[in-house]
Formats: sequence, C-alpha cells, structure tokens
Amino acid sequence: MKPLSLTARISLLFAVSAGLVLLVTSLFLARAVDAHFEEGDRHEVGGKLELIRNLFANARGKAAFDRLPQQLDDALVGHHGLVVEVAESGGNVWYATPGVIFPPTLRQACTDEPVRCAKGLLLQWDQADVGYRGEVLSIVAGDGSPFVVTVGLDVARHESFMRTFMTVLVVAAALAALATAALGWLVTRWGLTPLRQVTDLVGGMSAERLTERLPTATLPRELVPLAQAFNAMLARLDDSFRRLSEFSANIAHELRTPISNLMTQTQVALSVARNAEEYKEILYSSLEEYERMAQMVSDMLYIAQTENGPLQPGPTPVDLAEEARGLFEYFEAWAAERGVSLALSGEAQVAGDRLMLRRAMSNLVANAIRHCPGGNTVKVLLERASGTVSVTVENPGPEIAAEHLPHLFERFYRVDPSRRRMGDGAGLGLAIVRSIIQAHGGSVGVTSAAGVTRFYFELPFA
Amino acid sequence: MFASCTARIWHDGATMKLLIVEDEPKTGEYLKQGLGEAGFVVDLARDGWEGLELAKAGHYDLLILDVMLPGLNGWQVLEGVRRAGNEAPVLFLTARDQVEDRVKGLEMGADDYLAKPFAFAELLARVRSLLRRGHASLESTVLSVADLELDLLRRRATRAGQRIDLTAKEFALLELFLRRQGEVLPRSLIASQVWDMNFDSDTNVIDVAVRRLRVKIDEGYEPKLIHTVRGMGYVLEVGTGDTSA
Repeated sequence: MKPLSLTARISLLFAVSAGLVLLVTSLFLARAVDAHFEEGDRHEVGGKLELIRNLFANARGKAAFDRLPQQLDDALVGHHGLVVEVAESGGNVWYATPGVIFPPTLRQACTDEPVRCAKGLLLQWDQADVGYRGEVLSIVAGDGSPFVVTVGLDVARHESFMRTFMTVLVVAAALAALATAALGWLVTRWGLTPLRQVTDLVGGMSAERLTERLPTATLPRELVPLAQAFNAMLARLDDSFRRLSEFSANIAHELRTPISNLMTQTQVALSVARNAEEYKEILYSSLEEYERMAQMVSDMLYIAQTENGPLQPGPTPVDLAEEARGLFEYFEAWAAERGVSLALSGEAQVAGDRLMLRRAMSNLVANAIRHCPGGNTVKVLLERASGTVSVTVENPGPEIAAEHLPHLFERFYRVDPSRRRMGDGAGLGLAIVRSIIQAHGGSVGVTSAAGVTRFYFELPFA
Repeated sequence: MFASCTARIWHDGATMKLLIVEDEPKTGEYLKQGLGEAGFVVDLARDGWEGLELAKAGHYDLLILDVMLPGLNGWQVLEGVRRAGNEAPVLFLTARDQVEDRVKGLEMGADDYLAKPFAFAELLARVRSLLRRGHASLESTVLSVADLELDLLRRRATRAGQRIDLTAKEFALLELFLRRQGEVLPRSLIASQVWDMNFDSDTNVIDVAVRRLRVKIDEGYEPKLIHTVRGMGYVLEVGTGDTSA
C-alpha cells in the first residue's frame, strides 16, 4: 500500500489528537456540570429538611400540629420537582406530597442506621420511572414525638439537560476536529513549502551540474542538516566525477604516446625491406614499450580494486619493521650500486593486508633510493603515537618545489612533465601508495625542506 | 632461444602435451605457437564445450584455461574435467586479476593463475614449474652445472673448486637458477621466488642483483653460465651466447 502523504498524515494526526483532547475536555466539563447540579440539589434538599425540622421542632400542642401540613404546603410551593414525605416512627405516613408514594426502603434505611439517620442519609432512588435524589432525616417534634422526613428532588430535568449538553459537546468536538484537520492540512502544506523547494532544487540537478549546492541560509533549521548532508554527498560525487573524468583523460594521454611511438616505428620498419637482425631489434624495442603499457594497465587496475573494495581477506597483524628489513634485502644490491645506504629505526605493528602494506613501503623506498644522491642514506622511521603508527621514508636530495607537493600522490603526476625516463614507471607508484593507505583508513603526506624529502603515511593503530 | 632449452626439459623422453582453451583468436594462436616452439605439443580449443571434449578425450599433461569463454566458462570446464577424473594440472588465464577470481580458481582445484596481460616468459616458467611438480625427482643436496657446485646443506658455492662468497639472497638466487637450468626466468618470477616480492616494481633491482651474482660466479671463469635473454629475463645454462646487445 502506498504510504499516506505527509500532509494527509499530519492532518489526520491533528484531527485525531484535537478530537481526543476535545472529547476528554468535554467529559471533564460534563462531570463538573453534573457535580454542580448535584451540589445544588443537595443544598436545596438540605435547606428544606432544615425548614421541616424547625417547623416540627416548634410544633407543640395539637393546634400547632394541625397547622403543620398547611405550613409544609406553603414551604414547598414553587419548588418544582420537590417531594416530601413525613412518616411517624411507626410507619404511618403523616404527610406526603400529593401523588407521590415513596418506597418504604427509604424509611427502612433510617430505621437500620438510626445514628447516621439523625444527621441525614443521602440517597438516590427511582420511583415510577422518575429518578430522585434526596435525603432521609429523623427528627423530633416539639412534643417529643419522633418522625422520619424524606425529601427528594426529581433529577429528570438535570438529566435531560446533561443529555443535550453532551450532544452539543460531542458535535462541537467533531466539528472542531474536522476544522483542525482542514487547518492542519493548510498549515502542513504551508510548513512543508521549504521541503518542496528543496525537492525542486534537487530534481533540477544532474551530473553536469554537480557544482550546485542547496542554499542552507534560507532553510528552516530542521532542514539544514538534511541539506548539509546532501551537499556533502554532492561534493563527494562531484569529486568522484571529476577524478573519473580526469582519470580517463590521463589514461588516454598516457597511452597516446607509446601507441603513437609503436605505430610510427612499425610503419617505418615496414617501409623498407630489412634483415632479420633489424626486425628483431624493432620487436625488442616494441616489447619494452608494451611492457610499460602492460605495467601501467595493471597498476591502474590495482588502484581501482584497492579503491573500490574492502581489504581481502581481512586485516592481519603486520610487523612493519620486519617488512622494512625484507625490503632492504630486496633493494640492497640496487642501492649499493647507487652508493646509497639504507637505515631503519623504530618498531611498529599494525593490522592490515601484509602484501599491500609491503607494496606501499616498497614504492616509497624505491622512490627514495631513486632520488637519493650517492653517498647518502635513505632512512625508514617507524613511530607509534597515540592511536596511529607512522612510517616515514626520507632521503636527502634536491628539494621538491612546494607547488608540486600537494599533487605528488595523484595519478600520473610528474614534477617535470617532459621527463619520462625508463625506470620512472608510469607515474603511478605514489598513487598506489595512497590508494593502499586509504584502503587501510590511513593518510599519506610529503614534506621537502632543508635538503631532506620525507614521504610518510599514518595508519590507525589497531 | 627456445630451441636450446627444448632438449633439456624432456629428461624422461616423453613429449609434454598441452591443451589451451582460449577464445581470443590472436592470443590463442600466439600461445600455441610460443609453447609449440618451446617444445610442447599444443592443442587449441576455441570455446568451453570444445575444450571440455578435448580435455576428456586426449591425455594432456597440462590444461591452460581462459576464464571468460563462450559456452562453458573456465570454471565450468575445470569442473567437468575434474568430474571426469582427470587430475592434470590446470593453469588459469584471466583478464580480471581480482582476488576473488584467484581464490575461486584455487578453491575449485586450479593449480596456478596468471592475470592478463602477462609476459610469455612468465607463462612458460609457470607451465614448466607445474609440469615438474608431477615428476619430482629425488632431492639432491648438491646442485651443479659445468664446474659450478652449490652445496645446499653446507650453504657453500664453488666454481672450479674455488670457494665463492655469496650473501644469503645471492645463494637463494643461484639455487633458483640451478634448479631451473635452461629455463628463461622472468624478472617478476625471480623477485617473487627469491624476495617474496609479488608485484612488479618499476626498478631494475633484479638486473642489479643478477649482475652482482654474475660478477661472482662468471667473471674469470669459462664457460659463462648466466645469460640475459633480452625482453624476457635470465637463463642459466652452458654454451649459449648472450642475446643481449
């Protein structure tokens, strides 16, 4: 099922919550009104009882007793719904509102609990389908004879009022909920306008316009993190796209020269008949060119794999000092021939891919030996700082101009573009170092000052 | 060059039969020609089905399988071959030099793996190494060629009876040459076998190391033993002129 739109969802939630709040409020209100009515009833009943008690208390002698029913009638005139019964303690009804017969259980209750009845018993009862709320009280007349007085108040009119009141409340609540939903819809539409604007902006973006960014200044605070995250993603995409197209351009450029060399050479070779030795020489020369291209292609593939995949088969402990010693053994003869000595200091262990790390160190050491003047020493320094292990390969020699330093680890970057000697490789050695170290979550760097060039990488310490 | 080593690999007199399954026409032809000229009898299949049929029918000493093939791919051919009870060593060729491929191939019973583009000398060296694996001769503790002797137990090298001082790595390098006499060893194979460097370095480290070894064992002696094979690598043998210019 298609999820509800945000607007519909929020409007619905508004309506439901408003409805609930109103409903609960209505219930409290109804309860309060009801309680108020009850309080009023009790007050009225209590007042009448007091009046009756006084009348009886002042009645002494027969004449006074004979006047009592008239006095009671007078006292009750105008009190619609008020009913009274006065019974002798024996049970004979002495006086009663005409047409009303009280259930005998009311008096019985008084007989059962005489102590409480002397103070008045609150009761509620039905009589002939009419609900009454009232009180029973035992009183003593002026001549000392006991009576039981019951005063009841017809509550039907309250009940009908409450019913109407509740109906009005519920209808009002429902209408209010609907109104809230409609308002909610409008408010949500209005509130989500920035989101729609962002959507429109994002929708208008394409690979060609990756340099655009969402404006964060005009956005509501809640949307700023989203826009920032999106902008960061755009920046990464833009970077990748740019690097990809640069990379393609680089490859094309790097392959153009050897291929054009090979073509020219082959065409020249074929233009005149030659002897076998000469053909052989041409093939050898081509072979060297092919080898260089093959090396470049496999280096590029290696970088692509390193950049795209996680470590395979997973990190293992690598003793960098041991690797450095192994590399020194490998480069020993070559370095000695160039009059360069090799020195190692420090110890360090990291978790990583041994072959990859060895390759990274090998490229740096080879690079250092190549650029180290005879009679000097290439030093490999292993250091452990808090949380990181750093590997520095340094060689004395001519300094590299500062403008080149930030680009040295880029693919195909050459300090001197016109120089492409044999043995200089395809210009990918340092790019391989960077891709390996980045795959390990580390960083690479280079400094060149005071006659010493230092290439280094830092790895998180496992 | 190949003619000179041909005589040497047939110590048991039998001709080695290879099957190449490769769909790329040029690659297939050149491999067939190159291995044929190196003294092997070579059959070439153009797709997976043909390759599987041939592998089951003929008695091959070694199979060279391309991974990406029309019909059955290299893994499926290998599976079929192994199911048919053929245990001939298998060398895989693939353009995708990804670790997963390597792992998969070795898990499925491939014996070696070579990523394209590869040097022909490297292929030849690996083929010979795989073929030798099945015919391991008694391990000798003394290796020799002409008047050069290498005593593996006492770690001593002598030429014409004179002691030659070698570093540990020079000793290992000479041992590799002696074990694989007559075979052209590409630089990458030397780097991997002697120094455990399994990647191409853009330096001439191997050339320098071989040159130093050469000075020690060949200078002042005849015949010269270590020769440069231009464009391919180095070979240790008696009586072939150096092909380097």
